[in-house]
Amino acid sequence: MLELFTSEPNVLFLKPLIALAEKRAPYTLRYFDAANFEQFADGFPSDLESSLQLEREGPLLLHDGTLISSSFFMLEYISEALPGDSLLPGDPYDAYRARAWGQYLGAQLGSIVPVLGAAKYLQPHLAALDPEVVDRRIAAIEPIERRTGWLAVRNGSYTPDYLESVHERLGAPLARIEAALRAGPWLAGPAFSIADIDAYPMLCVLPDLAAASVNAQSTPRIFEYLGRIAARDSLREALRTARTPHPERQFVPGIEASRWG
Amino acid sequence: MAVILYHWEPNANSGKPMLTLAEKGVAYESRYLDLLQFDQHKPAYLAVNPDGTIPAMVHGSRVLTESTPMMEYIDEAFPGPPLKPADAKARWRMRWWMRFFDAYFAPSLSMIGWSIFIGPAARHRPPEELRAAIDRIPLESRRIAWRKALFNEFLPEEIAESKRRVLFATAALERHLSRSAWIAGDRYSLGDINGFNLGYALPLSQPEHCNDSKTPHIMEWLRRIYERPAARETWAKGRTQMATRIKILERTPSA
Repeated sequence: MLELFTSEPNVLFLKPLIALAEKRAPYTLRYFDAANFEQFADGFPSDLESSLQLEREGPLLLHDGTLISSSFFMLEYISEALPGDSLLPGDPYDAYRARAWGQYLGAQLGSIVPVLGAAKYLQPHLAALDPEVVDRRIAAIEPIERRTGWLAVRNGSYTPDYLESVHERLGAPLARIEAALRAGPWLAGPAFSIADIDAYPMLCVLPDLAAASVNAQSTPRIFEYLGRIAARDSLREALRTARTPHPERQFVPGIEASRWG
Repeated sequence: MAVILYHWEPNANSGKPMLTLAEKGVAYESRYLDLLQFDQHKPAYLAVNPDGTIPAMVHGSRVLTESTPMMEYIDEAFPGPPLKPADAKARWRMRWWMRFFDAYFAPSLSMIGWSIFIGPAARHRPPEELRAAIDRIPLESRRIAWRKALFNEFLPEEIAESKRRVLFATAALERHLSRSAWIAGDRYSLGDINGFNLGYALPLSQPEHCNDSKTPHIMEWLRRIYERPAARETWAKGRTQMATRIKILERTPSA
């Protein structure tokens, strides 16, 4: 049995929805509201790996008793374990490039995009809730790294200076993607792959969150790339799981930025 | 197609492809870069890897610079014993733990290592020379790391947090290895190669936290890997005292 525990189809939560739609895999969708702490409710699936996973908040895939966490590896798992066309390049070097993109963009965009989204949407959302309830919910979160992500939003640590430094960090990964798309329409080899499924959900919110950095003039290839993926049936199907009018506005804390600075 | 591997000591990221190639029985041309002499930031190497990070592998016209995806490439591109499990769930587990090692455990352990070893070992030069060396580093994140190490700019709270994380990660790994003989399950895999490069010296650097009474499963796991011919062969390629730390894993004959 295949069950996907997921929230609004945005950022990390959007990734497995696209992959499952590409595979035309039947599965049961278990919806939870990640911005309202439903992933911390009693009975929510959890094990050693899911509780320690470095994305802090994200989708979970429960397949015949095994809980799959960590969104890029979930995409690899969906590609390898389910029937249908492979979503991983067949050539080992293209597969290497897909995995290297997953690692690089996870550390870069995965730690930048959720901060920008949380500052714009999660912070006002939390501020509108009962502060006592929010504090109690956050205080109960383990481990401390996961709790810290919520505390940063709750305590308003996203100062203008900090957000400006986060915006600056976007430059390097965007330049790298823009350069890679000069060589072809997809990130890892001749075909659409999990590298694209991984990158798209982190990029597609940037015309809203970082309009000065991602637009048709500054990043024309990324802009076209987003349009190419948005036109796929799998994406339309994934977005149909939304329960709010604006899934692109639901954010939760993301991956911690490197502690080395 | 010939394989050229640019690497430092058999340790951390350099050791990952070295041990993987040895396990596969792939002969390679070794190009040793001295990290402490900043060989990785010199023009000859930047022509191979413009990011100036170690290791890099060249296979024909292909250049690979990310050590963990590089291990998967080696396993897929060359004959020899498979180093990834046949089962997709076990492969997922292998990758999950490799990410935990690479992105959580290793950065904290290396911050401690850089503050007590790399920094002092590379610091004995005039400050202008050190600053010029830092200016040649291509990646901003690496410039920050070297500046901290060379000028001892680690904050006490950063080091304290790294120590806390090393203990936390050690406990998580001990828990995992108490339920499974190897990282991915019942067979040796790339996950063990990755974890060994991170952890082989833990019993020496963290003797009060990683030892036979507190972490018996980690100790047994490290010794089992140390006994593999490929590990012996790989650590024999070390040129400094660093590689000799592996001897802590020698089993002492019981009395």
